[in-house]
Amino acid sequence: MTTAAIDPIKFEVIRNALTQAAEEMAIALRRSAYSTNVKTRQDFSCAFFDKDLRSVSQAFTQPVHLGSFVRHVPIAVERYGPENLDPGDMILSNDPYGGGVHLNDISLIAPVHWQGELVGYTACLAHHVDVGGGAPASVGAFREVFQEGIIIPPIKLVARGKIDDDLFRLVLAQIRSKRETTGDFRAQIASNRTGALRIVEIIDRYGIDEFYRYIDQIIEYTDRRTRAEVAKLPKGVFEAKGFVDNDGFTDGVVTLAVKITIDDDGVRFDTTGSDPQRRAPVNSTYAQTFSACAYALRALMDRDLPVNDGFYRYVHVNAPEGTVTNCVHPAPVVGGWETHVRLNDLIFEALAPALPDAVCAGTKAMQCHAGFGGENPETGEYYCFLETLAGGYGARSTSDGPDAVQCHGQNTENAPVEETERNYPVRIARYELIPDSEGPGEFRGGLGLRRDYMFPEEATFTVLADRDKAGPHGLFGGEPGSTSVYALIKNQGDGKHEERLSSKTTVQMQPGDVISYRTSGGGGYGSAFARDPQHVLADVLQGKLSVERARSRYGVEIDMAAYAVDRSATLELRRGK
Amino acid sequence: MTIPGTGRYRIGVDIGGTFTDGTLVDSATGQVTTSKVLSTPADPATGFIAAVKKLLQSESSIAPGDLEHVVHATTVATNSIIEGKLAKTAFITTEGFRDMLEIARQIRPSLYDLQFVKPPPLVPRQLCFEVSERLDAKGQVVTPLDEQSVAQVVERIAESKVEAVAVCLLHSYRNPDHERRVGEALRARLPGVIISLSSDVVPEFREYLRASTTVINAAVSPIVSRYLKSISEKLEDAGVTAELLVMQSSGGVYPAEAAVRSPVFMVESGPAAGAVAAAALGSSLGYPNVLSFDMGGTTAKVSLIRNGQPNVTKDYSVGGAAQRGTGAFGGASGYPIRTPVVDLVEIGAGGGSIAWVDSGGALRVGPHSAGADPGPVCYGLGGTEPTITDANLVLGRLDPDYFAGGEMPLDVEAAQAAIRVRCADPLGLSVEKAAYGIVEIANTAMVNALRLVSVQRGHDPRDFMLVGFGGAGPAHAVRLAEQAGIPRVLIPVGPGTASALGLLVTDVRMEGSATLIVRSDEVELSRIAAEFKRLETAGRESHKIAASASGDPVFERSVEMRYWGQSFELSVPAPDLPDIDARWMSELVEAFNDAHETAYGFRANGEPVELVNLRLTTVGKIARPQMKKLETTGTDASVAVKGQRDVYFAEDVENSGHEGMVQTSVYDRARLPAGAVFRGPAIIEEPDSTTVIHPSWTVKVDDYGNLVLQR
Repeated sequence: MTTAAIDPIKFEVIRNALTQAAEEMAIALRRSAYSTNVKTRQDFSCAFFDKDLRSVSQAFTQPVHLGSFVRHVPIAVERYGPENLDPGDMILSNDPYGGGVHLNDISLIAPVHWQGELVGYTACLAHHVDVGGGAPASVGAFREVFQEGIIIPPIKLVARGKIDDDLFRLVLAQIRSKRETTGDFRAQIASNRTGALRIVEIIDRYGIDEFYRYIDQIIEYTDRRTRAEVAKLPKGVFEAKGFVDNDGFTDGVVTLAVKITIDDDGVRFDTTGSDPQRRAPVNSTYAQTFSACAYALRALMDRDLPVNDGFYRYVHVNAPEGTVTNCVHPAPVVGGWETHVRLNDLIFEALAPALPDAVCAGTKAMQCHAGFGGENPETGEYYCFLETLAGGYGARSTSDGPDAVQCHGQNTENAPVEETERNYPVRIARYELIPDSEGPGEFRGGLGLRRDYMFPEEATFTVLADRDKAGPHGLFGGEPGSTSVYALIKNQGDGKHEERLSSKTTVQMQPGDVISYRTSGGGGYGSAFARDPQHVLADVLQGKLSVERARSRYGVEIDMAAYAVDRSATLELRRGK
Repeated sequence: MTIPGTGRYRIGVDIGGTFTDGTLVDSATGQVTTSKVLSTPADPATGFIAAVKKLLQSESSIAPGDLEHVVHATTVATNSIIEGKLAKTAFITTEGFRDMLEIARQIRPSLYDLQFVKPPPLVPRQLCFEVSERLDAKGQVVTPLDEQSVAQVVERIAESKVEAVAVCLLHSYRNPDHERRVGEALRARLPGVIISLSSDVVPEFREYLRASTTVINAAVSPIVSRYLKSISEKLEDAGVTAELLVMQSSGGVYPAEAAVRSPVFMVESGPAAGAVAAAALGSSLGYPNVLSFDMGGTTAKVSLIRNGQPNVTKDYSVGGAAQRGTGAFGGASGYPIRTPVVDLVEIGAGGGSIAWVDSGGALRVGPHSAGADPGPVCYGLGGTEPTITDANLVLGRLDPDYFAGGEMPLDVEAAQAAIRVRCADPLGLSVEKAAYGIVEIANTAMVNALRLVSVQRGHDPRDFMLVGFGGAGPAHAVRLAEQAGIPRVLIPVGPGTASALGLLVTDVRMEGSATLIVRSDEVELSRIAAEFKRLETAGRESHKIAASASGDPVFERSVEMRYWGQSFELSVPAPDLPDIDARWMSELVEAFNDAHETAYGFRANGEPVELVNLRLTTVGKIARPQMKKLETTGTDASVAVKGQRDVYFAEDVENSGHEGMVQTSVYDRARLPAGAVFRGPAIIEEPDSTTVIHPSWTVKVDDYGNLVLQR
């Protein structure tokens, strides 16, 4: 088929309609979901795949999922057998060793039929707040994937439009937060149904042959644009090494390595040199590593580029089996996203010399999970709660890193304090920026944030995070951001006693105990002594930077009486630097 | 002090980006007079009064004292937010949460952009303060309010010379006592400073959304107050003593006095007017369910009207880039407000939207606009990039010699050349085909917007009538209807100024709400009755200041509900029963189950349902002006034919056999008699707009001169 035979008008119309279908799936899922993690924090994704299981359109929610989803859905469908799917069926899957990621991320996949013919698949993934396993919210440090929760190979949860009650009860029996999970599954079903209706409408309007023909064209179009974008990237081999701070059982670092080769054949990512997999939660599946590389490549391209199979085919990843970047059964995987997001930071670090104006300095580069649960004394129900916390973003060549935001493939919202306290027996005691946590630079990194959780009743709390040994890296003379702190604060009558916690640990909370998260700041860009003193002043006046730090790290003397920069003292401080 | 007008005339003034439109209605005869003057962005009040004076002068028999009231839609609040020109404002919250506005929702406004910036908080960090106090989620005091910490904060705010203060303490939606005490301390020390308490502005949970709404209310209040004062003075100077009413984002109006106190309710005042106009037109003609389609020079706005009322939402962000309207994914680029806003989707598709071919060889339209300067290529004002207007001209849909009534000749050759170079040649298409493509792609974006407000909210567009207006709306409305499967289209009289007419066909509406957050099986029914009673009393009080509303107020009660555990509420009208009893509750729950099934495709019968907010709207009815009938009647439309020209039609080859340039009759709308019936293809021209009738559509001119189009 040549381009000339394609009607550019029909092309654009169908392309928009397919994107709209995925967006409507996302809205249906969010608005009818029950758990704070899905309904408020938007920890889910939706997409449409064609009959050949190529990714065609996506809703713009969580890029981490989207990158892994495109691997998981085809594998799950092939394992189940497309020939075994009838109209109205939906299959459920979360198997990390069947193309999946960690167990909380459960995909529901529905074949779409038009006049009895299988024409594609709608699929949605939601991070369920609990999937059983060794700790509430199913986060924690375990030795094997079996301890992490229920493993669901592709199974038919909905047969010809009807939920298989026996199966559903079996799944729910493994799960602590039954009511919320039931609601979230129902929302996933509604989402797939919404998507299927839209797809059928498109086919009704244009006919099945045109539908297929234009899907091919949409993917080819993306391919052409991606190829043009790849051709613009600098050629060469770029490498970086870094680490995850610990694996949750031993204190040693987990080394990650990445090599990016850009030549006429395209872009290849290689994680050879990364540590062997651990009997600890930091292992990333191949799908997760692929997702990190896909995100990095996409972020270097035209913002307007669609993301579908025509793009993903340019993401070439070699991740040696048995390493923390491509673990094999039965390694635990719940913290695989921590490894994934560090890989993202490493890829940008490696590319910084070649693309100094495109990348950012080190971000918080961790998922930073806070999970807890226990019995809710008011309802008698077992409750679970999960959220991830923001940190400082890395500085860029012409701008500061924003304060307290999510990074890379993760863009989940915070849980409102009032909603959280209404629904769960916890009190959020503080939620604020951390002054002086930025990585100094001509452009500074963003500030990290602090969130304190106080428990009036007993509860089990899991920290599954990172970055308490080294802060996010600076670039071109910029300095690293602050390291994270996870602390348990006990009120022992004689005052408050604070104990540092590991970044991956589960703690039994006694009434009145507080867990305090203080997340890392972003890395700086360029020498801090080159920072415009007026920008330093603005940070000091806003209370984001102390006068002492302005002096010692930026060589800027602030006259707080005059709300002004002391220029001569600043010149003196900066002399010879 | 405003006094109710004695006269029979009403004026509506709608300030847009380019023009300020005025409409004067004679309530007795229905005679409508319009005026159009250039907007004066530096001081919008100047354009406002110019439009009013022009109206008064056009009807020599009207004395300023003959006016009953003046209704105004303004973007002054939105613009001050978008342009960062808010009043200097301080923010007070609970200790430990000073950075609530700065952290916002912790998300990035765009996913793959490493260079993104967060919208700056509306109050800088040095003006955000904490007081020592804490309530729990039930509203019980955990830490009593520390009066000393309040006094210190008040003193620091006094030193900082702010014009406004917003207060949002945790869980104040449940128990406003601490907030009120902080408010008293502020008022005592800072006379003349605007104080907004979150428990007054929007007593609803989720602290960031409530704080954001409260901050916007406080920060725009001095600006709105100055602006409305300036307008009132200018009206007085002109001898107009009639009441000044302001359009709210929800589509109701309220007195200027109420607008100064609660300006956050009028942030989207401008766009709401169009939806109200469409609703009123539809209702008066017996079509209570319509889709409103308002297309101007830079954007198109669509909204859905059911039972004569625009759909209203509370998920809204002001000043968001790439605004996807009011969907759940408004994103992190703007500032959320939780006040009722007409649920409209606004997209960057207007006459000035630019067409281009992207690096993958796809034809695209927008989001960039040539605006009014340089404008479309055909204006000959220096524009080089082809726009939707250029495409319509090339297709013969616009007359180069009758644009703006002939005041502005258009350059067809320049438009053709631009489309050839920028679009047709790169795609290997003829100029006409490329021009057609530009229009079709823009139409697709607008159809998607129509779907967002209809299908996505569970409404089938085929059950609606499309009302097309705005300068560019009538040229696109029929084709949109075809694509969305809408069977009927209405093009009102004077489509270019129809929006301003919307200001004169609405009621005074005052919103009140109370948060309950309680399960239907656990709530004390007496509490619901008591809360509604309290809201009603407050509504009656506020009704007293609206001089124009005749008679007793009417109350609309609704309940925002969800399944226990969900986060998004659906608004359900309260059952119309004399008592709030078990039957009332069971009807309410059933209505919610129905609404949920309509919206999301499933109902969870038997699951606990939560009542989140009670809403009571106090409606002061304003009599509607009578519409004026056309003087000439007759079925023969040929009297209005002013000529023939070639117009491009391609979309329904199979149905009609028409493709490409078709010889088409051009009608002068002013000469069409009531009762005239004719078939497309046809072009109907009037000074401020051109209606394109596609083949296989039939036009009927109703008694009032509206065009009713059917397939």
